Amino acid sequence: MNAQNIEKKPVVKRETKNKIRVDFDRSPLKERLKAKFLNFHFLAKVVLAIFRMVLMIGISYIIIFPFLTKISGSFMAMQDFVDVTVRLIPKNFSLDIYRAVIDELAYWECLLNTFTLSFCCAIIQTFICCLIAYGFAKFKFRGRGFLFMLVMLTMIVPHQTLRTSMFLEFRYFDVFGIVRLLKGGGIELFGHNITELGEGVKEFFEGLNVLPDEIKWGAYIPDGSKLEKYRVQMQITQAGISLTETYAPMFLLSLTGLAFKNGLYIFLLRQFFRGVPDELEESAYMDGSGPLRTFFQVILPVSIPMMITVFLFAFCWQWTDAFYTGTLMPTSDTKMLYKMVEIPKSLETEYAGQGLYYSAIRNTCGLLIILPLVVLYAFCQRFLVQGIEHSGIAN
Amino acid sequence: MTNNVAMDSAKKPKRRKIASLDRRKARAGWFFILPFIIGFIVIYLPMVYESIKLSFHSLKITAAAGYELEFVGWENYSYALGTDPDFVETLVTGLGQLAFDVPAILIFSLFMAVMLNQKAAGRGAFRAIFFIPVILSTGIMESIAAKDIMNSYMEGTGGIDDGSGQSTANDLISTMDMEKLFANMKVGTGLVKYVTSAINNIYNIVNRAGVQMLIFLSGLQSISPAVYESCKIDGATAWETFWKITFPMISPMILVNGVYTVIDSFTTGNNAVMSFISDYYNKDKVISSAMAWVYFLIVIAVVALIAAILSAFVFYQRKND
Repeated sequence: MNAQNIEKKPVVKRETKNKIRVDFDRSPLKERLKAKFLNFHFLAKVVLAIFRMVLMIGISYIIIFPFLTKISGSFMAMQDFVDVTVRLIPKNFSLDIYRAVIDELAYWECLLNTFTLSFCCAIIQTFICCLIAYGFAKFKFRGRGFLFMLVMLTMIVPHQTLRTSMFLEFRYFDVFGIVRLLKGGGIELFGHNITELGEGVKEFFEGLNVLPDEIKWGAYIPDGSKLEKYRVQMQITQAGISLTETYAPMFLLSLTGLAFKNGLYIFLLRQFFRGVPDELEESAYMDGSGPLRTFFQVILPVSIPMMITVFLFAFCWQWTDAFYTGTLMPTSDTKMLYKMVEIPKSLETEYAGQGLYYSAIRNTCGLLIILPLVVLYAFCQRFLVQGIEHSGIAN
Repeated sequence: MTNNVAMDSAKKPKRRKIASLDRRKARAGWFFILPFIIGFIVIYLPMVYESIKLSFHSLKITAAAGYELEFVGWENYSYALGTDPDFVETLVTGLGQLAFDVPAILIFSLFMAVMLNQKAAGRGAFRAIFFIPVILSTGIMESIAAKDIMNSYMEGTGGIDDGSGQSTANDLISTMDMEKLFANMKVGTGLVKYVTSAINNIYNIVNRAGVQMLIFLSGLQSISPAVYESCKIDGATAWETFWKITFPMISPMILVNGVYTVIDSFTTGNNAVMSFISDYYNKDKVISSAMAWVYFLIVIAVVALIAAILSAFVFYQRKND
């Protein structure tokens, strides 16, 4: 730009002991600014940047606005909902809704239960999906493509399709009739029971009745009623163990990579592991470590961002899930966050703004439900993008 | 294949080591995916089998011995498709909605991923905001949002509300004007309608495009910057670069996302058909199961169709090694 000035020597303007101010003989500032900012290239860039910014801010607004209305509504007092002049900013600030929801709907208990379940499930799912995805990404074996198709299939089949049978599967959980055998029910094959062969056989198999009728553990929950209640109660009959109403079905699903959206996690992780250079493992193999040790000591440490991403997904989706918990623990007394969305007794009223008021209460429940997730997201969101970014590097 | 290797190794003892390493690695691979295989055989297959079986039976849960089934043949299906007044109608409208949603979500997520991939001020903040719905607007929050009337109430800013109850200010853009404008330009009413309803529906689309954006972003990250640089040197415009470089390179991701979007929007709880089926679950578990299978067959057909169409356009980069 200032080609004519390059040859000229710099002019020393002021010199002190340890500072020197040098001025080049340049074209005047006005000229320089003109050259820099008044050209088509720069203008196009500015226009594009403004356009992009407006678009981004607009879409961010769309995303954030519902949360803003929820937050502002949750702080309003009852009379604000009939006041036409009140829209986004509450006139009578009040914490009544929060107080009622937290006290009457047993928020802390719900929080603890949901946290236990979500945390355990998310940890298990992250680990298991890592294992499975690593197996698919880095090892060649026959039937790999087919098996991966099956993984995708478990994601494609809508879980509503399996809802009834999922409930029945865990209500009467039995693996290949082992429970039936150990309860003295004999072995059933193709609709015929082995005990039909004769009395002796029947007696023998009935002698095998080794399982108790009920498994209970955890603290006895005093209820006031005469029924005994334990934290975990499983009935065992010949039809199988009743796992519903406990967390066990969720853990089993997580342990086998069949829980909610696990197909997606496996896909994402596989994508990531494929990007991890083979040399890394090969050097580990050279040093004499087996595949399992390599996995734990070499692969897992480099894939922490991606694991956090998957953990975040698993945790949050389990946290807000109502389908699996609702299907597998339909009548359970365990207080869960997803059951919390209702109107507290003390806030039930009958007045003109009822519809809005109830809506605000439900929204407050929603806010309280996602509050821990917001905190978690604030800490983990950088891993979310980081993990994804690295997933494609050498793909 | 293993036989060949064994025969070779008999001739050349040197190769035995490689073959055994391969086989060991294959065995390790099986070991790693073992949890899935066990789960698939022990839990998933019986579940699927049971579900199919159930849809041909009527069910009674008894207290002591579990449950009783009575074979009724195709009755549940004929009830779902023929007798039930609402199912077929819900199915058709639901599918229509999906035909609308899926392309909109795909285009939007690709567009936003390209935007988020560019180095610009506030990129980190925007990314953080854009992925909020993935985390927060799922499951129970969806059903809360469905009942939420606060949102539209607050959006109808006072003053513009003319009291007629149909305040156009509720829509993000007053699309009436846009529709008129484009109608005068004779672009084709179908396209105009699609775009305007997509804009009115933007909240829904943004909320459901999060995972797709992530997948597209990961795809975009995998394109080497050197390719773009050489394009720039050769004088290609951004438009050309997008269609000649970005689009083909990201096309496998488009396939993945297309399939994922179809699955996701088919199986999400607030989808009309899904909520219909799950409401029906409380009425009759068996018929809801039959309905779900009818629905699933349609899903599979659509997924296969989409996969077939999209995979015709997929460009696979050949690996250098």
